[in-house]
Amino acid sequence: MMQLLSFTNATKAYADGARALRVLDSVSLDLARGTSVGVYGTRGAGKSTLLRLAAGLELADSGSVRFEGRDMAGMTSGERAWLRRGAIAFIAAEDWRPLAGESVMDHLCAGPLGEGVPVHQARLRAQRALDQVEFRSGAAAETAALSLSCRSRVMLARALVQEPRLLIIDEPAVMPSIGDRDRFYALLRRAVRERRISLLAASEEIAALQGLDVLVSLAAGELCSTEPAGVVVPFPSV
Amino acid sequence: MSTGQALQKKTWMRGPSTPLRGALLALLLERPGHGGDLANRLATRLGETWKVDTNDVYRLLEQLAGTGLAVARDEPKRGNHGRTHLVYHPTESTSAALSTWMETLLPREPVRLGLQAKLAVARPQDAPRLLVALKAYERECLVLAHLVFPTDGEARSWAALCMDCTRDAISAQLQTEVDWAARTRQRINEYLQRRPSALTR
Repeated sequence: MMQLLSFTNATKAYADGARALRVLDSVSLDLARGTSVGVYGTRGAGKSTLLRLAAGLELADSGSVRFEGRDMAGMTSGERAWLRRGAIAFIAAEDWRPLAGESVMDHLCAGPLGEGVPVHQARLRAQRALDQVEFRSGAAAETAALSLSCRSRVMLARALVQEPRLLIIDEPAVMPSIGDRDRFYALLRRAVRERRISLLAASEEIAALQGLDVLVSLAAGELCSTEPAGVVVPFPSV
Repeated sequence: MSTGQALQKKTWMRGPSTPLRGALLALLLERPGHGGDLANRLATRLGETWKVDTNDVYRLLEQLAGTGLAVARDEPKRGNHGRTHLVYHPTESTSAALSTWMETLLPREPVRLGLQAKLAVARPQDAPRLLVALKAYERECLVLAHLVFPTDGEARSWAALCMDCTRDAISAQLQTEVDWAARTRQRINEYLQRRPSALTR
């Protein structure tokens, strides 16, 4: 069975002074269509590197990362960028760049409009995404003035508007309240389940990743998983 | 029961005192000692979070002797001619039993305490077994954390809030354990990278 996303012995190192710091050490991980995987790790454990490799933002030094069977390393940077505008949505807190005076609706429509989606269809997608993240009332709000909690919901909505097959989310925001955090992850779980999107989410808190199909921890470049290697978790019946 | 049978059934690895029995095996292999000496060495090695009772140590040593993993000999007390005391020595089965304990996770054992006891007395050649045990423990905690039902952030009653708080406590404890196991593996691996010869000592 072809996996949606597949890491095979992927290794990635960065220079740390004179030595090479191996952030990912021969990591293998499969993500089947419609399944969700949570990556837990402390700061600096390599979670973001794993996610950036999954999104094709970086390439493995050795081993392979395949999306729908295609090796990321065999694609051009343009092909990988094209994937990230469609099949793969990538959310990271540092990617939040609101424009002055921009409304949430405009923010959400920008991506689809750039891909040639007609205006009315882009607005429909945006409206549906706002409903999904329970922020329907925020369509006219200014993005630059959003609270942290609302900002995270809009970032999730922006990813949903893209109608991806894989959603990659890197610790979307430090929420001011635990309730906001739990609510956000509940919305995330429901959105990917209802839309049958595969999810790869990373967090420094295990509690944020509960309820996902598979939980893995990452430390010293090595993965530890709740599932034995090679096990494909089927999408739970709704 | 013969020593072979005792080892095969691992009867000595049952019950909450298993970490102490395992640690005593390691101390016996380092050097023989009488009950009081072994109790002192055990207390020093395990640290303040353990309450090592000397009477318990005597009882555990007798148990180990009963399963053939230690042997007691009446030997003269140093500096006190004419008087003797029981000195415990390892047997030919002690080293293998220690290795088995090092690589075994026991479901009814307070696992972290068991691992702590192993770490306190581990020999360099035990490093691979410790790494296996730590990885198994990390996965066990991860699996338990995965079983915790997520909250939706909207506790609608006091009872629901208490349930959320309980889940949070469990998750926080398990997260700490996962971090500790991963960090310990990392420490051991880094040591072995610096001193690969440690394994062959």
